[in-house]
Amino acid sequence: MIEIFEYDFMQRAFLAGIIIAVLASVSGTFVVLRRYSMISETLAHSALVGVAVGLVAGFNPLWMAVVIAILSAWLIEYLRSSFSLYSDAILAILLSGSLALAVVIVSLGGAFNNSLFSYLFGSILSVTSEDVTVIIIFGTISLGLLLAFSKELYFIAYDEEVAQTSGIKVKFLNFLLVTVVAVIIALSIRVVGSLLIGALMVIPTIAALQFKVGFIKTALLSLVFALFSVVCGMTLSFYFSLPSGATIVLFVLVIFILSLVSNKK
Amino acid sequence: MQMKFRVPIFDVKNLNFSVGEQNILSNISFEIFNAEYIAIIGPNGGGKTTLIRMLLDLEKPTNGEIKIFGKKLSSFNQWHKIGYVPQRASHVDANFPATVLDIVNMGRTSQRGFFSSMSSEDNEAVKDAMEKMDIYNLKDKMVGTLSGGQRQRVMIARALASKPEILILDEPNTGVDMVSQKSFYALLKQLNIQEKITIVFITHDIGVIADDIARLFTINQKAIICNNPKQILSCEDMSELYGIEAHLLYNHKHEH
Repeated sequence: MIEIFEYDFMQRAFLAGIIIAVLASVSGTFVVLRRYSMISETLAHSALVGVAVGLVAGFNPLWMAVVIAILSAWLIEYLRSSFSLYSDAILAILLSGSLALAVVIVSLGGAFNNSLFSYLFGSILSVTSEDVTVIIIFGTISLGLLLAFSKELYFIAYDEEVAQTSGIKVKFLNFLLVTVVAVIIALSIRVVGSLLIGALMVIPTIAALQFKVGFIKTALLSLVFALFSVVCGMTLSFYFSLPSGATIVLFVLVIFILSLVSNKK
Repeated sequence: MQMKFRVPIFDVKNLNFSVGEQNILSNISFEIFNAEYIAIIGPNGGGKTTLIRMLLDLEKPTNGEIKIFGKKLSSFNQWHKIGYVPQRASHVDANFPATVLDIVNMGRTSQRGFFSSMSSEDNEAVKDAMEKMDIYNLKDKMVGTLSGGQRQRVMIARALASKPEILILDEPNTGVDMVSQKSFYALLKQLNIQEKITIVFITHDIGVIADDIARLFTINQKAIICNNPKQILSCEDMSELYGIEAHLLYNHKHEH
């Protein structure tokens, strides 16, 4: 087990993975309670557009993913609050639209290669020192914002209207939540991949909800499940040369099934 | 001689609300003062909930003016003075991860700073609200496991935790059994008399509340404000308000 950490790339991957597990589970708790589960999938596909632009134009794909995911999150929230459109319909449109746009961009740029594959499914080999720096900086800011507004976000998740009548700035906090989620998703795609990050964000919380305990305990359980899955998934990925995102998500799924079965009435 | 003026909690003038061509509320004006006990009745679709939503700034009036504690709605920021219990309060998502304490703590959210944990003042206010609603012994229970009547008390405790001066309740008895309904109205009256909290609630239980209310607002597109509820609680008035032939059965208290 210790030999894993003899490699620099594995040290970077584990550091990035652990930060992402914390970010995904904390933000995922609010996303699931807010009934926003599908937004993580949509933003992950939007982030892929940023990756495609980055690969083709020669910019850092991670930076581009952050920018495009944030713009996409704002567009979703704007459409949701300003037009009489169904939320899930907006997400479905943007999800498939983003994927189509990403594929066209990489095709035109001739960037269909292993690099794109690693962004789709995650690769522990591809995490650079610069990626780790970006993940630490933006991850700290994102986590700080989530913790600063955690009680307000929890209240909004429970009852948006009553939260508003008690003086909480619901519209601003909805924008803030989707923005932070967009950043976290974009940061995560190096390790987990854009097609699988939604699962790491949502499934640990859904598994924790099966235990029917209060908010703090649910958030902590979700965090433990995410950390366990990331550590086990990355270790498995190292020894069997598997895409890290897929192995992490399989561990999360096993935890979910065990939670479901063990808490069955 | 010094004149003392009472500033109304709500001062509503010429309020109109329409959706497209359809008038939901027309030319509504009234004042609500401190420590009043007011019931709002009217047929479904008559505009009762819309009126309350406008008072809470959840809907914008087509025209007209609402002042809260003497301030225009747009510049009012002391929302903790107003407690709101919505219509669906007792219908709780059974899967939501919240204990009774988690829910009542929410009532203190807007009065707490960033990153701050509950202060002793916050804890005191939450405990006080739970004791008033007689739910302190349930504080560690998951809210999804409670009965309709217990959930209703939890939602009111949440509203009370912010130490409001007015409590607005929209059909709070929906989904609650008859026994719980009667004890619920007794509790509201107690809050009004002992804590001097202004109570405004939408109800269809006219017969149950008739003895207790100080003023009655009847809303069916227009408002009739009645300072003597007995005056309007006649079968003829009710028939006109609801548009059907009405027969009222009163549930008078026994005088001892």
